[in-house]
Amino acid sequence: MTCDQARLLLVDLGASNRPAEEARALGHHLSGCPTCAALEREERALSDLLGARLPPLAAPERLRRALEEQVARAEALAAAPAAPFRRWAWPALAAAASAAALGLWLAPRSPAAPGPGGLAEEAVSDHLRALVAPRPDVESGSVHQVRPWFEGRLDFAPPVPELGAAGLSLRGGSVGYFRDRRAAVLHYQLRLHQVTLLVFPAAGLPLPERAGAAEEVRGFRAVLWRRGGLGLALVSDVDARELERLAALVQP
Amino acid sequence: MGQGRTGEGSLGRQALAHADALYRFARRLTGDEADAEDLVQETFTRALGAAERFEPGTDLRAWLFRILRNLSLDARRRERRHPTVAEAPLEALEAREGAPLLGDPELDRLRGVVARDLERALASLPEAWRALVLLRLEGLGDQELAEVMACPVGTVKSRLARARAELRQRLRPYARKAAP
Repeated sequence: MTCDQARLLLVDLGASNRPAEEARALGHHLSGCPTCAALEREERALSDLLGARLPPLAAPERLRRALEEQVARAEALAAAPAAPFRRWAWPALAAAASAAALGLWLAPRSPAAPGPGGLAEEAVSDHLRALVAPRPDVESGSVHQVRPWFEGRLDFAPPVPELGAAGLSLRGGSVGYFRDRRAAVLHYQLRLHQVTLLVFPAAGLPLPERAGAAEEVRGFRAVLWRRGGLGLALVSDVDARELERLAALVQP
Repeated sequence: MGQGRTGEGSLGRQALAHADALYRFARRLTGDEADAEDLVQETFTRALGAAERFEPGTDLRAWLFRILRNLSLDARRRERRHPTVAEAPLEALEAREGAPLLGDPELDRLRGVVARDLERALASLPEAWRALVLLRLEGLGDQELAEVMACPVGTVKSRLARARAELRQRLRPYARKAAP
């Protein structure tokens, strides 16, 4: 055995599955090579140190809970039928047809006002569109560049909050749609998470006056509220409490 | 979500068994608790999203570590906030002559290095070396390391030996002040 071969084996002194012949050859080499024998002592000392001194770490409880929720959501999604429409849509359509035939079809001609849950669903869909977009329409970390960029592109002036103190860095802005109206889409980054702030005219939308509890939709969370004539929606996959904290900072 | 190959539940359930190891690796790779938690969560998001592409019969643990390390590298590139001063090109470090061996008294003091100094020395290693040392501590074999690091087994072996040699050298200043 050469010194180079021996030194590659020395990194795994504790290897229990080393073939007996290899172990014998290594022992023979070490007994005749003072340099490799000294290296062996170094390797042993380092292994002892790493084994004894590195503090044992385990996933914090909140992380473990979040992972278990993630897994449970994925399992629920996998367990759902691939085309749920088929399961309930036909009976529903049949019932609607019967009701119409009986003269009982009383639904208003105009769409009913969407519930808050529907708005969160819309906000999450817009967030997903922002996630898959290759980049914002305007890429900048400066609110002073992003805010003026919207001039002439929207018929309202969206607030572009500076949230650096809360750990959010602005990545840029885009123009999108929230339901039937144009919206400012502001892209932020919080550690590894993308956070989207949507700003849109609030007319006709049942939005609360203040940012409240986050709603969960498909594993994402959204907080929606009204500020004057504008609606705001903050969406991300960060946990609910953190998103609510961020929304409270955006709210004023 | 795809089922695991061993009949122990979904791939997600099997992945949960590696949560502690993934967190430990992420924590020592990034040096930051919040970054480590984000990395592990994002690793699960990617793994669960790609469960159908996980090939049954292959190594789930190595696959998860590989996802996590790639995410970590992406984040470092994106943020550019981790100092790169200590990150001389590996080729240059690997071509360097071996340092003088540590004598027995110094080895005794090496064993007395405290946890904080050991973590500092580990954190000062180039990322690829640090990852190798940490993954070996988690019990990954040569083949698994090669999968995570996306390099041949031979490179893993020689690079791990160099990484540990470099770590010993970076521990020397701390060993000098450690009680024998």
